[in-house]
Amino acid sequence: MDKEAALIKKLKNPALKDIAFSNLLDVYQERLYWHIRKIVITHENADDVLQNTFIRVYKNIANFKERSTLHTWMYRIAYNESLRFLENNKKKIYDNIDEVSSTYLEVLFEDVYFNGDEIQIKLQTIINGFTENKKRIFHMKYFDDLSFRQISEILHISESTLKSTYYTTVKIIEEKIVL
Amino acid sequence: MEKSIENRNKKNFLKEGFIGDTSKKHTAYLGTTVPKGYFSKSKMSIADKIKSEVKTTTVKEKKQVVFWMQPNIKYMAAASLVFILGFTIWLQNTNQEDDFSKTNSKIFSYSEDHLINSLFINDSEFEAFADATLINEIIIKAELSERKIDDLFLNYLFIEDSLIENYTDKNFIETIIL
Repeated sequence: MDKEAALIKKLKNPALKDIAFSNLLDVYQERLYWHIRKIVITHENADDVLQNTFIRVYKNIANFKERSTLHTWMYRIAYNESLRFLENNKKKIYDNIDEVSSTYLEVLFEDVYFNGDEIQIKLQTIINGFTENKKRIFHMKYFDDLSFRQISEILHISESTLKSTYYTTVKIIEEKIVL
Repeated sequence: MEKSIENRNKKNFLKEGFIGDTSKKHTAYLGTTVPKGYFSKSKMSIADKIKSEVKTTTVKEKKQVVFWMQPNIKYMAAASLVFILGFTIWLQNTNQEDDFSKTNSKIFSYSEDHLINSLFINDSEFEAFADATLINEIIIKAELSERKIDDLFLNYLFIEDSLIENYTDKNFIETIIL
């Protein structure tokens, strides 16, 4: 039995659930935080969404059917929680989703926990210029080290489409970053 | 020359790949940081939040139980209902029995006082005593009891008539005519 299967078994056992969940936090907390942070931009928002994500994982682990890996399942929950957060935030602050996108950089630069230099700001600006899908594919592949298969399961996009989108995006970034 | 080195460095910025942990990678490429010791504090706060969430969920689940569906209340309500029904039926029966027994006792009783008194009466006076007793005990009482029986019959008839009237008012018309 591999480590993940053993962890799932413990998580589904009420007597071992809390200890197993602590191990789960050790393994995935940081990775999920950065996955969320890139979607919701600021540290404060990412902290809220991360907590909600783990609460959801804790509550629903008994219903996890193991059709995908635990890793992918948790990323999908984090992704959905982030989108839900943006949707709620949009209703409160913005009139439409485009406005959220246009203020992405403003919000990022206002965040206390952003201190990017010239090249980092340039990369952020280039990435922000892409469509939401392209942006997320690039983030998931490049920064979160997810496989195309995993990204496909999370975003429900075919692997071939993902591959072509990713390589095109990387090429554009490389070209723009040297200009 | 300097420009080409700068450009190569910029290109390598993406191609170098990830060195170090996830946080370092994000800080290096995107300029995003986290407060010092954030992940250890966050782990504690997530654990605390889950504990409080679990507590509130159990409290909510308990609150969701409908008051009147709780076993104690259910049994008490059922017992009271049975008691009320039983008491009503018993009351109805006892009333009927009382009326009947009262009537019967008055109709058929023949005061024992007169029998005892008759033992102490002289033979000469007995005839007069017998006449008086006969009039008091038998004729008057018989008359009274007869009236009461008549009243009872009349009452029953009235009640039955009213019931029939109700029936003919509602159900009878509906079932026969419609």
